[in-house]
Amino acid sequence: MRLDKAFSWEYPLSVHGLMHNAITNAWRGDPYKIDTLLLFMANMAWNSSMNTENVRKMLTDKDETGEYKIPFLIVADAFQSETVAFADLVLPDTTYLERHDAMSMLDRPISEFDGPVDSVRIPVVPPRGDCKPFQEVLIELGSRLGLPAFVKEDGSRKFRDYPDFVVNYETSPGSGIGFLAGWRGKGGEKFLKGDPNPRQWEMYKENGCVYHYELPKSYQYMRNWNRGYLEWARAHSMTRYAEPITIHLYSEVLQRFRLAAQGKWPGRIPPERLRKRVEDNFDPLPFYSAPLEHKLVDTHTYPLNALTQRPMAMYHSWDSQNAWLRQIHTHNYLFVNPRTAEANGFGDGDWIWVESPINKVRCMARFSEAVEPGTVWTWNAIGKAAGSWGLSPKANESQKGFLLNHVISEELPPCEAGDHMSNSDPVTGQAAWFDVRVKIYPAEAGEPEVTSPQFKPQKRVPGQDPKRGKWQAFVAGAFRKKAKIQE
Amino acid sequence: MTQLALVIDLNVCVGCHACVTSCKEWNTSGWAGPMTDQRPYDADPTGVFFNRVQTYEAGVFPNTETYHFPKSCLHCEDPPCVPVCPTGASYKREDNGVVLVDYDKCIGCKYCSWACPYGVREFDEQQKVMKKCTLCIDRITDMTLPESERKPACVLACPTRARIYGDIHDPDSEVSVAIREQGGYALQPEWGTKPSNHYLPRRKTRIQIHEDELVRVDNPLKKEELPTLPDVGETLDDVAW
Repeated sequence: MRLDKAFSWEYPLSVHGLMHNAITNAWRGDPYKIDTLLLFMANMAWNSSMNTENVRKMLTDKDETGEYKIPFLIVADAFQSETVAFADLVLPDTTYLERHDAMSMLDRPISEFDGPVDSVRIPVVPPRGDCKPFQEVLIELGSRLGLPAFVKEDGSRKFRDYPDFVVNYETSPGSGIGFLAGWRGKGGEKFLKGDPNPRQWEMYKENGCVYHYELPKSYQYMRNWNRGYLEWARAHSMTRYAEPITIHLYSEVLQRFRLAAQGKWPGRIPPERLRKRVEDNFDPLPFYSAPLEHKLVDTHTYPLNALTQRPMAMYHSWDSQNAWLRQIHTHNYLFVNPRTAEANGFGDGDWIWVESPINKVRCMARFSEAVEPGTVWTWNAIGKAAGSWGLSPKANESQKGFLLNHVISEELPPCEAGDHMSNSDPVTGQAAWFDVRVKIYPAEAGEPEVTSPQFKPQKRVPGQDPKRGKWQAFVAGAFRKKAKIQE
Repeated sequence: MTQLALVIDLNVCVGCHACVTSCKEWNTSGWAGPMTDQRPYDADPTGVFFNRVQTYEAGVFPNTETYHFPKSCLHCEDPPCVPVCPTGASYKREDNGVVLVDYDKCIGCKYCSWACPYGVREFDEQQKVMKKCTLCIDRITDMTLPESERKPACVLACPTRARIYGDIHDPDSEVSVAIREQGGYALQPEWGTKPSNHYLPRRKTRIQIHEDELVRVDNPLKKEELPTLPDVGETLDDVAW
């Protein structure tokens, strides 16, 4: 069983995994205890976790013998995120410009309408300090641990480094399918399928780091049932079948799970506590059901839905600390319909509390007629912990910005299916970020005008000094000498 | 005479701020730079931006609309910022109508920002001179660039093509046609500044669907016969880790 219980009867088709439960499960030792947690780039002590305040406590919690419940935490990141502060070992990662990368055909890249495209990144500047691309860390780990994909039959190392891995890895020996579809075959004469080409990186570089196979015109449209295309895709091992790809309004796959729950399937059946859950939710036809959480919390006490959304100028927490972007959004508000605010006794710009069954946050309200009166919402990942991301502990992000995640539970209240069911979709394990119910009320007069909860400011670490000046005048190229980049 | 300008389609702008950041990226390192930032990583950061996007709401729920309104110097045909300048630092180019500031002559008295009814002049608190949108003068006049790139950075960056650039005095230019045919308007015409930049208004799109378009009369309800294909071995669909 996976740590996040993905693909178990609890969340049978959870292809994306249940990252939001990994730390809670490890802390509880359910399904098992772990000795090491390795996080890459995921900001699990902040905006990538639900129930964040308590998850932060779990990361440092000890058992009755005084040992840490999560004994060893490794974090690989290019920035001084909230999560990095919890790490026993920090692996400084590179940024995109300092490493090789493959936007691989195996990941089904976006491509163009006229044919499949994959691409690579080739470093333009050397890594700084001890930074190492995370891909190299994984190749090194895989090789030293002797994982089958990374070692030869005699146990010796198979791949020199990540670029070597990208060129020579095949999905199975001799399959001819690897990370990159372009310039395969010994001399780069094949595409999509072919032997590894030792000069593949050079050929991508010569072609602008992109491989684009342009399909004949007649194959470019309605590809889900374009017979010519489907046969071409099959012949080039892009797909397993050449049958038309249609949306299954009646899903035979889901029906099988339902039959298993009903005891009408000859194979495995779900455990007793989950039979009703599987039977109810694996309906072969689309159906509406209220969110699981709404059936388990008191929706009269907590009458409002609360949502988060990313602001368009940013993507996650990464780079939102950028000096220019943080002038676009330095802190977030809770957007509330004026009628909802009036009913709860506060005005535009007032400090308010947002409370769910598990926690509460203090923040500022902003009136918006563009929000439905039964819903409140805010931007995700603008709010930061004091001192994180290289920002001053007094930065607006931590003093006026807030994170709604503190009030979103990663687990459902105890129910028939179990005491610690993930707050996720019962079919796909998709995190139920939008299912939280809250109540809102004005902060007391005299309460400090900062968001809550606040955390002890993160310490500056070696390399974060010298301190940044009060002024910054960015001029491209002006920092080349300082960064020791040769002309 | 040429009058270069931007036409911004408010029906298309989604408020992503790509024009804001690409403007700063180009201009901070170019002719009009630097564009300084005060307290860049501390409380209340602030700095020089030649282009800003303001967001407004209109109406009462549920009949609400959200407007994203990109705002930069409008390069007025009769710019009030020019005659008030005591040193001649603020000027309008005769060849293309772009309004610019000569930082070497500017004494930072801010008369121009008082005179501008649109609030688009940006005072650099560190260098103590007035700065503003140059329409990327060092791009649009750079003959070493291919013609397709001789456009302001914001126009090239806009993912929804909400920004069009050209000569509003040429009746056949893309901008003139857009203004004429799509109801393009200038901001606060009552000031007599004759802004060159124009905005295209929000338009209502109503979908007209007829019942007969929803029902397919020739639905064959049968599966085509599939050909048997030779085995090609492993495929991308078989890859699993």
